[in-house]
Amino acid sequence: MLYLELFIQGLVQGSIYALIALGLTLVYGLLRILHVAHAALFTLGGYIGVIVTNATGSFTLAMVVAMLVVGLAGMLMYKLAYEPLLSQPPYVSLIASIALFIASEEIFRIAFGPYGLSYQTAPLQGHIELFSGFYLKYAEILVMGLSTILMIALAWLSMQTRTGVAWRATVTDPDMARAFGVKIQNVRYLNFFIGSSFAAAAGVLVALLNNLVEPTMGSVASYKALAIIVLGGLGSIRGTLIASLLLGVLESFGTIYIGHLLDRDAIAFAFLILVLMIRPQGLMGGKL
Amino acid sequence: MKKAKIISAVVMSGLLSIATGHASSIKIGFNVPLTGFAAADGKSALNGAELAVEQANAAGGINGDSIVLVVYDDQASPKEAVPIAQKLIEKDEVVAAISGSYSGSTRAAAGIFQEAGVPYIAAYAVHPDITRAGNYVFRTSFVGEVQGRAGAKLMGETLGAKKVSVITLKNDFGKSLAAGLKQAASNYGITIVSEYEYGIKDRQFGPIVSKVKSDKPDAIYATGYFFTAGPLVSQLRAAGITVPIIGQEGYDSQKFIDIAGAAAEGTIITTSLNRDSASIETKNFIREFESKTGNKADMVAASAHTAVKVIVAAMRQSGSMDKAALRNAISATSVVAATGTISFNALGEVRKDVQVQIVKDGNWHEHSVISDSKLLAPPNE
Amino acid sequence: MSYEITLMTTMAISVLFALSLNFITGFCGQISLGHAAFLGAGAYTSAMLSKADVPFLFTIPAAAICAAMLGAIIGLASLRVRHDFLAITTMGVGFLFVGIIRQQDFFGGEIGIAGIPSSGFGKGGFMLICIALALTFAAFSLYVRRSWMGFVFKSIADNEDVTRVLGIDVSRYKLIAFIIGTGTAGVAGALYAHHFRFVGPDSFGFVESISVLAMVIVGGIGSVWGVIFAAALLSVLPMLVQFIDDYKLLFYSGLLFAMMRFSPDGIAGLCTRLFSSIPRRVPDNGGNNR
Repeated sequence: MLYLELFIQGLVQGSIYALIALGLTLVYGLLRILHVAHAALFTLGGYIGVIVTNATGSFTLAMVVAMLVVGLAGMLMYKLAYEPLLSQPPYVSLIASIALFIASEEIFRIAFGPYGLSYQTAPLQGHIELFSGFYLKYAEILVMGLSTILMIALAWLSMQTRTGVAWRATVTDPDMARAFGVKIQNVRYLNFFIGSSFAAAAGVLVALLNNLVEPTMGSVASYKALAIIVLGGLGSIRGTLIASLLLGVLESFGTIYIGHLLDRDAIAFAFLILVLMIRPQGLMGGKL
Repeated sequence: MKKAKIISAVVMSGLLSIATGHASSIKIGFNVPLTGFAAADGKSALNGAELAVEQANAAGGINGDSIVLVVYDDQASPKEAVPIAQKLIEKDEVVAAISGSYSGSTRAAAGIFQEAGVPYIAAYAVHPDITRAGNYVFRTSFVGEVQGRAGAKLMGETLGAKKVSVITLKNDFGKSLAAGLKQAASNYGITIVSEYEYGIKDRQFGPIVSKVKSDKPDAIYATGYFFTAGPLVSQLRAAGITVPIIGQEGYDSQKFIDIAGAAAEGTIITTSLNRDSASIETKNFIREFESKTGNKADMVAASAHTAVKVIVAAMRQSGSMDKAALRNAISATSVVAATGTISFNALGEVRKDVQVQIVKDGNWHEHSVISDSKLLAPPNE
Repeated sequence: MSYEITLMTTMAISVLFALSLNFITGFCGQISLGHAAFLGAGAYTSAMLSKADVPFLFTIPAAAICAAMLGAIIGLASLRVRHDFLAITTMGVGFLFVGIIRQQDFFGGEIGIAGIPSSGFGKGGFMLICIALALTFAAFSLYVRRSWMGFVFKSIADNEDVTRVLGIDVSRYKLIAFIIGTGTAGVAGALYAHHFRFVGPDSFGFVESISVLAMVIVGGIGSVWGVIFAAALLSVLPMLVQFIDDYKLLFYSGLLFAMMRFSPDGIAGLCTRLFSSIPRRVPDNGGNNR
């Protein structure tokens, strides 16, 4: 019973990790950049979600707006921050990304105040009792449901549409794709748009679960998502998904049973290091 | 809010420029978190302190000399607080200083101030070692242990709880409160059935909530700040847990109620600010704070306000700005402030009643007061 | 005057710390996102020994050894993973260090260790010790760069596989770089503990690791003079610009971003381009993964 609850919570947390880490892995797969600033888009999504819901009363509208606006913001970020740095060594874009992330946390604090924002009337706070004593919040059901839907939509897009094929081709072999007439620039924009809007969805959902958005809410996500994509195998979408859910469940049980030895973040990284020592390319990584 | 900030910034810089021109302005140092995770509390504390300085200057300052607050952002980080302490002492040459920050940074800075012989008052930081840094360090709020003991009496006697689950924030604040609780628990018939810890960045408490539910306690003692307690309480209630949840001054803010929403109803805390107080000092403070900032008053603002009042009273009393004389004056002080009557024991700790507040109809209200002298006696050394 | 001494000491310690990272990342090309863990290892070792009445000077080698042992372990790990994986692994090490320290009351737990005794040399004396150590290591770095070891390091940084093919024991050199770099960070840690008189888990987290990496990169990765300048500047910049208090983090990160955007080879690169008559090594383009 308790174990079931812990497991479900792990899946909920893992779904959120998956939505965030996915954007990160998409960017890495295409550009080999560790996009730390991705977490800023997550936070932005959360803020937009709360602001729009409070202003219009419609959570659905807020979700849609957040995903669209942040998707565009992600594209902008690529254009202004990463494109000029493509020819530089990898550590340059890493530091630039980190600088961008710190700057954005500050901008959120200055623009929205340090206190954080909450929903005026938080939606979906009710819960259903599945069976004796086992409660599941509506919000938690939404998290799992929405992530699944988004993942399926993504899979359909990449497998069944021309755009998706062009996208996968660009990831595998950019020069060949270019030769076939694929507009690399558009693929990159699409990549950032999708990754960022997923992060926004995660932000809105987290805001729902906690009823609080803060300027620093992305800080944990920023490095944890990095750990997840490495764990899954850099560039592997499937690996990222598995790693996200796995980590969510691991943390869930870990905080209760080994919490006195390691704190929550350390659990994630301890696991990561362990896996990398045994399998340096990550769980599902390809050749090194 | 923003306007008030700009205005106060202009006023402050105005005062500062007048002050630097004026040889005889009195500088009080103030380290407070204005950025980082504790920024909300820091902003509030700063507002409280600034209000007290404005009031003191409006009443003629210290024999005509105006008081200037020298403010630095320490991000609630000990690493930042130490250089700030050094700067306040060596560059700004403050006469005394106040910490509007959390225990970690206050503790680190206290040692620096003690060594330099500059009086330092911790407005609301709870860690016991702070005043142990030496006789130049004082505290206007409760030591963690004392508040924890009060919590034990509250739960055991007033609420009649026998089995308690403790959820502790893993930092000096949470840990010293939990230590106090455990010290006094058995005196009030309380058995602690389980203990859990969480980190300051956590907002998702699923695993702990589930485990606590299976423990079936009579009450829950949860330490944290409003940004952790809000989500925690909300999640506990959402899981179907209905037993009383007891918090402490870390919850003491309207933000807690905003975040937890309906789940906040009935949450009880031990703190220093009684919104329904009959005391004129407290009423005035609440009223003037709200009109100055547009926000509701909270414990950190009241405590910072109190600390400034204490220093000002001591300065008026001692007549000189000699730091040793000032220290003696502070030590001998007895002043009525927004958080009660403040007077210090040999260690620099204060002895006052614990206010118990409860959330009713979306606001903090008086629940009871704990005045047991023996129970609340702070450590003497 | 007293305040200036404090600033100079802070600068010297930061310079030493940054140079130690430069040794690993700049010279040998092994990117480390968790270097603060070694600063921490040294700081905690020194702090605990000092509180047990061990004289300050003796705690320095102890700190260095402790940090270097930890560094050797990480160095061994670096033999398994490379580039981005290495970056994340080192980041993980940083978190692991902090996570473990936090939980053990033996290390002071969450609260850290306060009341570290003074070095016994007075403020001025201590400052001179810090500056002396920083300068010594700077000289050492310059020497290594021109030596055979430096040449091998650069070769590894440029292209590890080719270096291996040439018959050089790459693993051994990587380990050496790690041990020297982390041991020196440990020395910086000992100085840190006695300067700030307080150590806690938050002092050595991810933000510290990124800050010191930023110093190395802004200085110009691999350039000893550039790193010295950048470390000295960036370490005291927050204190000097406190008047923009509320915006200082924004300013700092904005500056960092502008640096990366417009002069990614750091201040050293800027100087090179300004005085382009001085022959200088061209920054590596890291051609492996692109």
